[in-house]
Amino acid sequence: MRIPVTGLGAIAANGTDPDQIFKSLCTGQGGPEHLRGFDRRRFTAQRLFEIDDRGPDGDRPLRATAFLLEAISQALADAGLGDDLGDVPMLVGTGLRELRSVELWHRDGAEFRLEELHFGTALRERFNAFDTHTFSNACSASLYALALGADLIDCGDADTVVVAGVDTVTESMFGLADRVQPHPPESVRPFDSGRQGTILGDGAAAVVLQRPDTVRDPAAVHGWIRGVSANCDAYHPTAPSLEGVTAAIAQAHARSGLGPDDVDLVLLHGTGTALNDPVEATALRQAHGASANRPLMTAIKALTGHTSGSAGLMSCMVALKALREGTVPPVAGLTDPIPETAGFRLVRPEAARETLDVAQVHGFGFGGINAVAILQGPR
Amino acid sequence: MTAVTGYSLVLPGAPAPADLFSAGYGRETDREPVDPAARLGRKGLRYKDRATQLALCAAQDALADAGLLAGGELTAAASDVAVVVSSNLGNVDTVCRVAGTIAAESARAVSAMDTANASSNIVASEVAIRFGLRGPNVMLCNGATSGLDAIGWGVRMLRAGRARHVLVVGVEPANDVARRLARADRVVDGGAALVLEMPETASARSARAKLHVRRYLRTGSVPECLDRLGATAGQASELVLGPEGPDGAGEAAHDLSRTLGRCSGALGVLQAVAAIGWFSTITDASAPVLGVCGGGTDDASAGVVLVRPAEASR
Repeated sequence: MRIPVTGLGAIAANGTDPDQIFKSLCTGQGGPEHLRGFDRRRFTAQRLFEIDDRGPDGDRPLRATAFLLEAISQALADAGLGDDLGDVPMLVGTGLRELRSVELWHRDGAEFRLEELHFGTALRERFNAFDTHTFSNACSASLYALALGADLIDCGDADTVVVAGVDTVTESMFGLADRVQPHPPESVRPFDSGRQGTILGDGAAAVVLQRPDTVRDPAAVHGWIRGVSANCDAYHPTAPSLEGVTAAIAQAHARSGLGPDDVDLVLLHGTGTALNDPVEATALRQAHGASANRPLMTAIKALTGHTSGSAGLMSCMVALKALREGTVPPVAGLTDPIPETAGFRLVRPEAARETLDVAQVHGFGFGGINAVAILQGPR
Repeated sequence: MTAVTGYSLVLPGAPAPADLFSAGYGRETDREPVDPAARLGRKGLRYKDRATQLALCAAQDALADAGLLAGGELTAAASDVAVVVSSNLGNVDTVCRVAGTIAAESARAVSAMDTANASSNIVASEVAIRFGLRGPNVMLCNGATSGLDAIGWGVRMLRAGRARHVLVVGVEPANDVARRLARADRVVDGGAALVLEMPETASARSARAKLHVRRYLRTGSVPECLDRLGATAGQASELVLGPEGPDGAGEAAHDLSRTLGRCSGALGVLQAVAAIGWFSTITDASAPVLGVCGGGTDDASAGVVLVRPAEASR
């Protein structure tokens, strides 16, 4: 598989477009802020990575939809496509859909309709798109959407596919995490021995994929999708399985025809939780074997927060920028790496500069659903 | 062409597929709700939400019907079996209950047991965990068309070589939040499941196809959907299973929600099982059955052409 990415779009707490987010990551900009949308008195944890768009009137419905439309608009403009998409498939990965709006509807009587819980209704209104699909696949949702979107082009079902990911934090998910975290983290520190857990964030990301022979301007290609794996641990609702994660990495290698000796950069899922980070590091070591110490490695959630449904595609966007520019942002907040990463080339404390060709992007979600993408730079 | 080698119905009153068209299904008030503990045993059901419990029932019966489950053990390779679950209302009750508790008290008052249920994919992942299904695991929450879209993605995952067998489940739970959000007096509180395979996979393991899915497509409107399905079918259909609600596919289409209540994300999967019932009742029916979901005020329409397998008509 060799599918060109011709458009990129993204919005996160630390930037309003891909360039800004990438620059923020390279210069260490971003971090959790005090709660803006929720009543602070009701939670022990007081921090989130929110996109600050609410203004003085408090929370409102359909913020996730707005971020999704913004990221997709950016990606379409970048790809030189108009906004009348018709039968162009649009695949959206999300962890929490418009469930924040459901909460506001239930609690405050905010106006909201079932038809707005998935994103097809807004995509029809905005882009006249009628082949739209909302996958609610937790924190690997946007990589799952990428896997299925790439299949559409690979099988000859579509010439152009838009793949996106989006989430805004729900009060229920934030509150449930708060309930089980007596000492909430002040920051997200992926792979650091002092890590205390993850902090959720708002975010959206989008890419445009095209059939290779329809690309008119080769210079406009950001990079290539070489293969995306998708599997399930079938193990535990919230805890990851070493076997499942290792299998997902191996499947990505098999599907792409590229292996540990080809991978120059790994965008780790790196949530900063006790459970994820050691399992991810060990799985990578098992799947990459003797070449595990070869690639540069980084993780972005210290500065974007865990953007859940958009996290995987956000990492893909960063990987494509890194491949093109030969610059890899550091793992912010990493000072004392966990022993499972011994020998790994985790980028810190500054951005690294290196010639890179192939990147591997991890996304793992609740329910043990794993997806791993292999991307190649534009050269 | 994709083979349906197993199916299940999980509905109040335990109807057979053919009952979905007949008065034999009985009065709504006489229908016993689905009792997951009676079908699955009590073990492991505690703290699982209603949608998950219904999906586990549907999955068990469909896998067994397809011959992929024997004595509770999977007979296929775990990584060869994918799961696609469709549900729109699955966890809205959990989300609203937790948000309500936080508003009334604080986050300290919520139950940690709700954590996994706050993520909408809990239904699909619990199905995988219970039956050990390690292929791709997809939770589709795609509005009115979601059930047919789940079938469509199942077909595509087979074509893309991501799985050899795909378990497709459509379920919706009935509760106050679901009814209010759906603006419906009745929500189905049940669903259905299918096992999809390539015909050659099915015949290699001597599994009989109960239905074939010939085509899945999406359009911007119901008339366009019917036009394109009709062109694919190549002959007039004697049965069109239409979208639910007053803005469906017209009087000629059969709207399953009239007997079942609002089916939402379960509708498309129920339509496929209804087609199996149709072919079993009308034994000389040779024309395809068309299924259409999404119409009127919905964002799009999805359609399938469902045909009687050749060997079943002999």
